[in-house]
Amino acid sequence: MKQKNSTRRTFLFLLFLFPCLVFAQTSLKGKILDKNGDTVPFANVIEKGTTNGTTTDIDGKFTIDVPNLPATLVFSSLGYETVEQVVNTAAPMTINFVESAQALDEVVVTGLATSVKRSNSANAVASISAEDISGRTPPQTLDGALAGKFAGALVTKSSGAPGGGISVKLRGVTSINGNSQPLYIVDGVYVNNSSVSAAGLNAVSGAASGGNPSSQDNPSNRIADINPDDIESIEVLKGASAAAIYGSRAAAGVILITTKKGKRGETKVSLSQEVGFNTMLNPLGQRTYTRDIAEAAFGPGNGALFAEAQANGTLTNFEKEIYGEEGFINNTSVNVSGGSENTSFYAGFSNSEEDGIVKNTGYNRKSVRLNVEHKFLDKRAKISVSSNYINSNADRGFFNNDNTGTTIGVSLTSTPPWAQLFPDENGNYPDNPYGGSNPLQTRDLITNRETVNRFITGATLDFNIYDAENSSLKLQLRAGVDYYQLVTKAIFPKELQFQKISNGGLNGLSALGSAENKDANYSAFLVHDFNTDNDLAFTTQVGITKQTFSVNIVRNIATNLIGTETNLDQSGNVSVSQNRLEQEDAGFFAQEEINYQNKFIATLGVRGDKSSNNGDANKLFYYPKASLAVNFHEFDFWNNFETMNQFKIRGAYGEAGNFAPNGALFTAYGSSLIDGLPGIVVPVTLGDPTIVPERQKELEFGVDAGFFNNRLNLEATYYNKNVDDLVLLANNEPSSGFGSRWANSGNLENRGIELSLNADVVRSDNFNWSTTILYFKNESEITRLDVEPFNLGGFGQGLGTFRIEEGESATQIVGNNADGDLVVLGNAEPDFQMTFTNNFNYKNFDLSFLWHWKKGGDNINLSSLLTDFGQTSFDYDGTNLDPSGAMSNGDYRVNAFLSGNATPFVEDASYLRLREIGLFYTVPSKLIKSAFKDYVSNFKIGFSGNNLINIFDYNSYDPEVSNFGSNGLSSGVEVTPFPSSKRYLFHLAVDF
Amino acid sequence: MKNIKIYLVAVLIGLVTVSCEVEDGQNLNGPTTDSVSSDLSRGELDVAMAGALSDMRVFLGTQVDAQAVAGREYWRFQSSDPRWTGDLLTGILDNNTFYTTNPYASRYATIKDINLLLEGLENTTADFSAEEIAASKGFANTLKAHELLMVLNQQYQNGIRIDVSDPDNLGEFVDYNTALTEVFNLLSSAASDLSNGGGSFPFMVPSGFASVATPSSFLTFNRALAARVEVYRGNYASANSLLQNSFMDLAGDLYNGVYYSFSLTGADLPNPLFFSLNASGANARIVHPSFIEDAEANDARLSKAVERMIDDGNGNMVPNPLTQSNLTGFYDVFIYESNIDPVAIIRNEELILLYAEANHISSPSTAVSAINVIRNAAGIGPYTGGTSPAELVNEILTQRRYSLFAEGGHRWIDLRRFNRLNELPLDRSGDGTFEQFPTPLTENQ
Repeated sequence: MKQKNSTRRTFLFLLFLFPCLVFAQTSLKGKILDKNGDTVPFANVIEKGTTNGTTTDIDGKFTIDVPNLPATLVFSSLGYETVEQVVNTAAPMTINFVESAQALDEVVVTGLATSVKRSNSANAVASISAEDISGRTPPQTLDGALAGKFAGALVTKSSGAPGGGISVKLRGVTSINGNSQPLYIVDGVYVNNSSVSAAGLNAVSGAASGGNPSSQDNPSNRIADINPDDIESIEVLKGASAAAIYGSRAAAGVILITTKKGKRGETKVSLSQEVGFNTMLNPLGQRTYTRDIAEAAFGPGNGALFAEAQANGTLTNFEKEIYGEEGFINNTSVNVSGGSENTSFYAGFSNSEEDGIVKNTGYNRKSVRLNVEHKFLDKRAKISVSSNYINSNADRGFFNNDNTGTTIGVSLTSTPPWAQLFPDENGNYPDNPYGGSNPLQTRDLITNRETVNRFITGATLDFNIYDAENSSLKLQLRAGVDYYQLVTKAIFPKELQFQKISNGGLNGLSALGSAENKDANYSAFLVHDFNTDNDLAFTTQVGITKQTFSVNIVRNIATNLIGTETNLDQSGNVSVSQNRLEQEDAGFFAQEEINYQNKFIATLGVRGDKSSNNGDANKLFYYPKASLAVNFHEFDFWNNFETMNQFKIRGAYGEAGNFAPNGALFTAYGSSLIDGLPGIVVPVTLGDPTIVPERQKELEFGVDAGFFNNRLNLEATYYNKNVDDLVLLANNEPSSGFGSRWANSGNLENRGIELSLNADVVRSDNFNWSTTILYFKNESEITRLDVEPFNLGGFGQGLGTFRIEEGESATQIVGNNADGDLVVLGNAEPDFQMTFTNNFNYKNFDLSFLWHWKKGGDNINLSSLLTDFGQTSFDYDGTNLDPSGAMSNGDYRVNAFLSGNATPFVEDASYLRLREIGLFYTVPSKLIKSAFKDYVSNFKIGFSGNNLINIFDYNSYDPEVSNFGSNGLSSGVEVTPFPSSKRYLFHLAVDF
Repeated sequence: MKNIKIYLVAVLIGLVTVSCEVEDGQNLNGPTTDSVSSDLSRGELDVAMAGALSDMRVFLGTQVDAQAVAGREYWRFQSSDPRWTGDLLTGILDNNTFYTTNPYASRYATIKDINLLLEGLENTTADFSAEEIAASKGFANTLKAHELLMVLNQQYQNGIRIDVSDPDNLGEFVDYNTALTEVFNLLSSAASDLSNGGGSFPFMVPSGFASVATPSSFLTFNRALAARVEVYRGNYASANSLLQNSFMDLAGDLYNGVYYSFSLTGADLPNPLFFSLNASGANARIVHPSFIEDAEANDARLSKAVERMIDDGNGNMVPNPLTQSNLTGFYDVFIYESNIDPVAIIRNEELILLYAEANHISSPSTAVSAINVIRNAAGIGPYTGGTSPAELVNEILTQRRYSLFAEGGHRWIDLRRFNRLNELPLDRSGDGTFEQFPTPLTENQ
């Protein structure tokens, strides 16, 4: 595909002007279909070696006149492999297109208003197609679909609770105390991905009252609201070298999402229905009790209780009782798309329901989308509007850490199988004598629900101001708004064991939280293209941007409830807290791109940003970028290398920012109350009015090579990114009145490599096999630290904690060893990750699967210690941990805890898992025709699954876990989470 | 072309709108500290004072528990935290854990509240009268002195920082005696402010301060605290005259005094030192057996220890001891009736015992009559022992032990004052005593 557009345009132009000069001797007809049987419109059909050509019409049909037979026709279109066919007879023909292994002609974003062909890009921008996102098996949430799909990301699910909660880290840790999650942009609209903790669960769990201030409420993150089905493609700008154009919010990378658009042609209706179920991913089993163990572990009398329950057959496997449900999955989606000459549209509705593996948990998302494009003013102007309404509900249960023995996870740790916890015939639950709560009662009676109502709307106006022979000027105006209200409702009725006054409870708790969030963005760009006579092409763009953000969170907690009422006023005590945020950013952007014959492509750009979140709101922070790509295969001398048809060397540098967390600028009083007198009290943390944003500087080098006409592609990238002016929440002398303070006081470095290899191994009429292998690794180091080393994100040195220390990895896990010395016990960063994706296509069958291997990377696993305390660990009586072999595993871990030795709690969290697998059968068009006449154009059925095979040594439900949610450094700490699940799904898809 | 012009005008308007200045960010979630310190208004004085009074209670429970455990008044059981029965009984302390850091940081946070308020009073442009400013300073500095004394009680010979108003330039650590002098001087200057403070405070006080709600009555509280400091320093003559000016009343209710208030309303705090009777090992305060064993017969103050009893299933109440970490106790600490009961800061009973101590050398008979006020109230009859200083100190320490039981970690401080920590009963091999809590790690000393 080295053909240049200009020559193609020229001959099309000639064709248009001088049709009579072509002497028609034989007229050839046919149509072009893709592998789904859809027609391919506007594909090029050229008689080889001539300028004779045409394009297919909307229905994929073409007619071409050739002077004589046999003739060789070349068929090509963007995104497909080029087909050459020798034609011997004038019979109508059907040409089948296959998608390119690596779509070299696809475009990737390089400017806010421009894009460039991938073959000319100087960055390793990852692209993920609709097929990769939801074609194999539908993800529950969008971010879950990113794992393993591209190099350079560490994607970690916080728990198995329905409704998401996923951390995406691109090219390592980019911030210690600030935002470390990428910026998501959907059709040009900045989309909010906060994890809003509004539930008030902490009032019951007391999780934050101990050593760690995090509420550990485990909220979901809001990108979960985007329906994966609506997505056409995703581009991932992994670091500052590619993302500099997004300026002060882009240091953690940018994920650009494009949703589906309508195409000119007949209106198409697609219906898809999926049903399935999920089950617990890795049941651990139970401790094997004997009468003696029961007596020794649970105290006098329990041996008899055990024996009695065993004899009566009333031993209960509580793991199975709580986590043993098969959650029903039901996804329905309907899309209608089409368009006329000037207007096209895509309308989508979807309903996704998924129950959890725990009763009374589940997730439901309804999404409605309408995307419209309209061209006007003689097609010089185009307006595109995309709008999306989402309503989602997540019932997330009550899990993770607590200090009160109340969460389902924690109470299970001390509940032996002979505990009688089932309700009587009137629904009265007995108190659990073995713990602070009866987990069955908690499961059945509590509510913990997040409800979201959300609108995301964006509009883009493109206007061609002028279009001359060698130059053109375009204007783009864009506006977008993302508005949602998140309501959290937590109800703990008074009959719960831990709510009873006699047990020191609050006599019922009802918590209602409401978060209102409005993000808006506006931008205006001018893009000027200029081609010189000596094959130099210049693209210049300048523009201005503005974003506003507004958050208002109100949390109400009512206790001492009246009867079974849950309204906030039906209570004895109500406490309210409110948190607001208003932020305004403004900036400009300018970029120059120079392309010399597709051989050298250079880009220079700068973004300037100011923000009300900086100490000086009107100070501009500049984020420059520069890049160069050299396409050796475009040079004449390259013609000698036939097997290697593409060879590109690229390098890019860029800078991007990351704001200090909101509030870091201020030292704001908290509120207090004493005997009816309201008061103000100093906060724990001292603000710094001079704080500046963190600045990431990334340098990236890479080589792209294609072999055998791009049937084999290799992409290799090395990057080095430094984060300067880390905004740290460091310890402070407590006698100052502040235990911690914000300051720009460190630097961080990440380096890594990313390799990707993809190949069309077999390509034939009936059988195709393509494969992709990714390998990537990252290493980090704190290169400067102006404050004393400090611990964060764990429960102290006796249990393992992260520690920020100059010269050490940012993700090191330290703790005391058996001798009481502070040593490095692990590192949350994986040694490397590999994924292996295969697509097989045999006749009408498609089989594809994705293996994901994460090697290394440690977790702090405190679930097993808690079950040891409770004497219920499934491996309590094993003896594989103690080096001397004397102590049982349970005793060994408890003993280690008592002596302050954190070694046993830091565990290798490597895994190898079959993340996705899908098998589909497309009913042949002949059969469809005979069954449905012309009403149905495509009919597909299939089976798919997530995480069906998991191989790991990690001593719990899933090595992918995070007690502290999705942001921040400290993912990988486990305290009795909601266990992960595997999913099985059956599919039916019909196009009308 | 007309359309194009419209678009260009629209773009121009857009450019102008978007490129306008960005306003400085505001904190929307509470006043910032400099709004108080740069100019204190009348409204701010009210809330700043209430904030300081509220902050005095934060981690009070941890401080009292830790000192009471150190002085073997009771054991603190908490199944989720073995350090209560570990570190605090072995005496091998951690300089970066809750019992060290939380009370320390909380007391200094209160001091910060007060320092900001005092700065604001210096810079105020509000229409405060000179009397109102003097009364406010006197009140605030008395609280500040109390908080410094609380830190010093734990830190003892490590010394503490006194000047902590600038977080970027903290004052040096001063030794124990210097620190006590500083605290005393602060109380003295507060006293002179209070005596110039007019008839009322320009702010509200909580119910625990109801008896000292005017500058003149608050002065009697200030003098009481100063007397405690002087007794700690051994300045008995000075203590004696201070007590005369305090709210001490030999004939009055022993529980008259100044208290921390608690409630369950909204953001208010419950009394952290209350647990219901027969509390489980999750959270309990178990009376040290020696408190029962060493008591004189019929001492009414033994009601502070309530025997744990349980129904044996046949309607008979039987003892219900609690065991944790090889420690078994039969009695719950029970000096508060509910979780909204007030906790004493200083009360008449302590003042009378301070008075006895202040006089035990210079006027043993005065000391004995003060002791007898306490003994008679406890129903154990007048003191019959010798009146040598050593004998009287023994008696005073005993009465302090029972009168101030579980109220503020007095026992540990008192034995330390007389170098008698080695008299504390040790329960397990490996247990030991300690003189002071370590300076928190993050003080970088």
